[in-house]
Amino acid sequence: MRTAAVAPDAGTEEPQTPPRTSDRLPFWVNQRLGLLVLTIGLALLFGALRPAFFDARLVLFPLLRDISTLTVVALAQMVVLSVGHMNLAVGRMAAFGALFAGFGYDRLGLPLPLGLLLCLAAGAAIGALTGWIIARTGVGSFVVTLAMDFALLGLVSLAYSALTENAAFTSTPAGLDELRAYSLADICVGPVCGSPAIPQIAQFTVLALIALGFLYSCTRIGRELLLTGANPAAAELSGIPTKRRVVTAHALSGLLAALAGFMAAAGTGTFRASIGDDFMLPSFLGAVLGGTLLTGGVVSVVGALLGTSLVAVIRKGLDLLGVGLESLNIYLGCVLLLALSADRVRNVLSYRKVVRST
Amino acid sequence: MIAIRSRSAGAVPALRRFSRSTAMTLLCVVVIGYLALGVASSGSFFEGPSVRTFLQYLATPILIGLAQMVVLCVGQLNLAVGALGGFTACLMGVLMADAGVPAALAVPAGVLSATLIGLLTGVFIVATQINGFIVTLGTMTILLGAQYRLTGTRTVDGYSSTLRDLGRAAPLNLPLVFLVALVTAVLLAAFLYRATAGRRLLAAGGNPLAARLSGISTDRQTVLAHTLSGLLIGLAALTATASLPGVNRSVGGDWLLPSFAAPIIGGVALTGGSVAVLGTVLAAFVMRLIDAARAEFSLDPSWVNFLIGLVMLGTVVGGRLHQGHLERAGKNRRTPTAPTGGGTAPAADSLLAGTGGAQ
Amino acid sequence: MSEPLLACEDIVKVFPGVRALDQVGLRLQAGTVHALLGENGAGKSTLIKVLTGVHAPDGGRLRWQGDEVHLRSPLEAGRLGIGVVHQERNVIPGFSVAENITLQQPPARRGLISPAAMIGPARDCLQELGLDLDPRLPVRELSVAQQQLVEIAKALHTDSRVLLLDEPTASLSPGEAERLFEVIRRLTARGTCVVFVSHKLEEVFALCDTVTVLRDGRSVLESAPLSEHTHDDIVSLMVGRAHAATAFTPRTVDASGPAALSLTGIATAAGHEDVSFDVATGEIVGLYGLVGAGRSELVKAVLGLDRVHSGEVRVHGEPASISSPRQALHRYGIGYLTENRKEEGVFLDQPITRNIAVTVWRKLAGALGQVSSKREQAVAQDLVDRLGIRLARLGQNAGELSGGNQQKVSLAKWLATDTRLLIVDEPTVGVDVRTKHAFHELLWELARDGMPIVLISSDLGEMVTLADRVVVMAGHRVRGQVANDHDYERMSQRIIRLIHDRPAPEAAVEKGRMTP
Repeated sequence: MRTAAVAPDAGTEEPQTPPRTSDRLPFWVNQRLGLLVLTIGLALLFGALRPAFFDARLVLFPLLRDISTLTVVALAQMVVLSVGHMNLAVGRMAAFGALFAGFGYDRLGLPLPLGLLLCLAAGAAIGALTGWIIARTGVGSFVVTLAMDFALLGLVSLAYSALTENAAFTSTPAGLDELRAYSLADICVGPVCGSPAIPQIAQFTVLALIALGFLYSCTRIGRELLLTGANPAAAELSGIPTKRRVVTAHALSGLLAALAGFMAAAGTGTFRASIGDDFMLPSFLGAVLGGTLLTGGVVSVVGALLGTSLVAVIRKGLDLLGVGLESLNIYLGCVLLLALSADRVRNVLSYRKVVRST
Repeated sequence: MIAIRSRSAGAVPALRRFSRSTAMTLLCVVVIGYLALGVASSGSFFEGPSVRTFLQYLATPILIGLAQMVVLCVGQLNLAVGALGGFTACLMGVLMADAGVPAALAVPAGVLSATLIGLLTGVFIVATQINGFIVTLGTMTILLGAQYRLTGTRTVDGYSSTLRDLGRAAPLNLPLVFLVALVTAVLLAAFLYRATAGRRLLAAGGNPLAARLSGISTDRQTVLAHTLSGLLIGLAALTATASLPGVNRSVGGDWLLPSFAAPIIGGVALTGGSVAVLGTVLAAFVMRLIDAARAEFSLDPSWVNFLIGLVMLGTVVGGRLHQGHLERAGKNRRTPTAPTGGGTAPAADSLLAGTGGAQ
Repeated sequence: MSEPLLACEDIVKVFPGVRALDQVGLRLQAGTVHALLGENGAGKSTLIKVLTGVHAPDGGRLRWQGDEVHLRSPLEAGRLGIGVVHQERNVIPGFSVAENITLQQPPARRGLISPAAMIGPARDCLQELGLDLDPRLPVRELSVAQQQLVEIAKALHTDSRVLLLDEPTASLSPGEAERLFEVIRRLTARGTCVVFVSHKLEEVFALCDTVTVLRDGRSVLESAPLSEHTHDDIVSLMVGRAHAATAFTPRTVDASGPAALSLTGIATAAGHEDVSFDVATGEIVGLYGLVGAGRSELVKAVLGLDRVHSGEVRVHGEPASISSPRQALHRYGIGYLTENRKEEGVFLDQPITRNIAVTVWRKLAGALGQVSSKREQAVAQDLVDRLGIRLARLGQNAGELSGGNQQKVSLAKWLATDTRLLIVDEPTVGVDVRTKHAFHELLWELARDGMPIVLISSDLGEMVTLADRVVVMAGHRVRGQVANDHDYERMSQRIIRLIHDRPAPEAAVEKGRMTP
């Protein structure tokens, strides 16, 4: 984890940090563009090999629904990565949020939007608690979120078994089924209807993308999050409330995780403890493939979408090609490692260039 | 006076240090917890079969905890503990049941492949300089797929009955698999505390820069740590295969969190440089106790995770607060502190002054 | 002259953006103590790392007893007989004293170390330093000074022909240092060559035979007998006489209003006692002292990073109790240009715009918290022009700039907001001479426009050039104040006298040496 320990060089004459020159490279090496081209290329390839890939209702609709949910998961991870932390409890925070939504619908009879709000509030609260523990005690985010994962894993299951009979809330409010099944084809303006491939649930993802894009590119808080991640000591000395930003990041992560939990639950129609079980891997895959750095300070909101899309397209395409579900993970792991190795090679090359020019 | 102190300094301070250590606390928890559980179950928990079951399912948690500890001590981590363990267990099972390889060959082959995968992981991390977290996340994904491909949805159980008999064997009411785990722990402790290679591993984790300046290759230590981790996971897979009724794709699925919980509760810092073999083993005991208590009172299995999570959080936060308290106290009283501290040690000063006088 | 034990010829070492060593030469004779001198950032530590195989040189040759050698690792250097005590803490905290001392060659049989067998040699090495320490103690339980001594013991254990000591006395008391010098003399009598790096010239003159002076990565004096040079020669070689004598157009200090910053009887958790001084509007007050005098610690305590036990801080006449740098900035308008540029000053992997605008986002932010990047860039561009920061694009990462320009970016951050008091800590360490001059001019201009400035510097030349008044600190106390008449000779004598002549109470010395 800590392969590059920072040498406390007392002589300040050694700038050993390889400057990242990614933005100086020609546009075609741009990581996000590469991802986009790769994703589209792969989609076309799969479509050519198996025309069924372009079946709007049977393939594209569920594919895009998966992408919608997992992009939000990746964003939840990205937000904490931006301050140089990680959140191993994304999945469990999603389950925690969904628990509240399910409880609201089943027991309190809340309407759809109110339940969603309750879910988001619960997620944000548990995230803020995590962030507060980290900021207050100075224990690494890895350990705290890992412990949180354990605790929530137990707590959520306990709550379900205490509150429900068969460990799931099944009664759903009006509108949830529509949210699950409807696509843009169900929205018509006069004779023109939307594409049947795009699920309505994607609206949440689009909203999250826009909100985070705005946060990171335009606002003070977004910039402060990034600088906190880039160099906490310098950020503190530059007047940034770093502790508050750590709490902000974790609260936001909890909120997004809860949103993803809600979307996942809406997708299956039941609120159960197993929601979010398989969120951890995609959360890192999407964010890291998209160009977000684990060390903090660099994020890519669009990258999270593209990274998630790439993974989902590969998954679906290989599935259609008859590569058994069991082998999918093998390819995904290889893609992750290869993509990052390529990135590394690029960094090394640009570092050499800088040294040579001195 | 100083001379006397330094001569008698051998055993007594070491004992005193132990009495304040995490291991001591954990030992007390284990003993008290076990006794309490025994009393609560009106003695049935002290009887042979209960003890045997208790220890039987302790072997794997100990080994995976140690596997994680070894990588933590060089400041790395291994997310592929569960996936590699599950893959190895399934590999052994499939080799024996489907390919008809005798257990005497299949088991070493499994352990060896786990070790090799650990080695490859380490080499990959060092060669690409990519964060170990991401690399092991990648290997985890790959291995999960490989495990699934080996077994699919079936449970492989048609393997060597000798292995299974050995797995259930319990001379003197001590399960053989538990003994294997204990012996491994002792050997690992000997390696880490006494062998040159083990000390190098710890030196690289404790202060990578200093280690490099002393001619220790930190890269090599990273590779070694991952290799050892692979070996220990291989052994964990062996104990799992031997004690489970059969292996399937869910083996190893729930190993990852306990593998972190054991060393962290046992007092190992994630920043590297510290090991606690005894602490890790005892922490595994504690977690097993929680599980046993859960079974005893037939509570929801979710309680176990919840409690382990709280214990882990409590350990880390408590340790951190304690340390912060010590530092603050140290600053005010000018006792020895971290290099950033402003004060100096009265004890140290008197020691130095004493030596000055003696000269 | 006989064949040198170890010789460097035209050594070049390049780091991105910096030529850390530029054709440096060095000849080390057996049985001598060789002083390696230079200001911070002159390249001493880098040279030592090249000599011990940590860094491979990018040019030039190393000769060991006449034969060219290539040192690929510290281990190879150690085998050759080159031992070293680095400036950084290089002990393994969890290991025992004995194990740290024997780390390079642990007594082992068939791959098993024997803790018992390392006690003896370790105790011998400790004894040689006159240190009666239990070798079984874990190093993390020792004080900083003891850890330093353990490192020296570690170097003794390797039995080196050439022993490099990088600031070995930085955290030692005078008594401990004296014992170390005896050891060094014993070693040279046995034919070892000791390379001694120190900021304390008194020690150097008391101990060394030959001297090499580095300035900005070049050797300005190479392996010359020390006896042929005076104290002042050496200092002027280190500092570079030319710029030490620079004079600017005079300024006037407006002392009529309340002091911009006024400290009265400050005592802190870091060990300061009774620190008092004032800074008037448009005045540059220098805080001078040796490394470890507690200057940066004082400033950090005032900024709320450490606790102030007693005393009063007034900012522009108003009593202030500052709890964080954020409050210092937004409420009192205090900007702090840190000593550690790379760790605390700039965000290396972030665009220059962000590095500069970080302090004004609060002001630029609209109702939704949005910051217009156009206005942000305007702020940055304005300062880039004003400070003459040389860059390719504003969107460039700060890490791609040279050290001096990074420092300017770091300063620009404070000028962007309405900073009403500027504290600059070692502003020109590791900055080349020309940029250094430009930086001095900048600070001077700022003060002339009425900015009160606290200047912390270990560079006496810089002090004499810039400061109106010099507050001399030692051992976490103020030793006295000297009004600056911009005459280097007179000033340096007065300041040095203030630091040394007054007999320091033992406790104060103890405190002073503890802070790295």
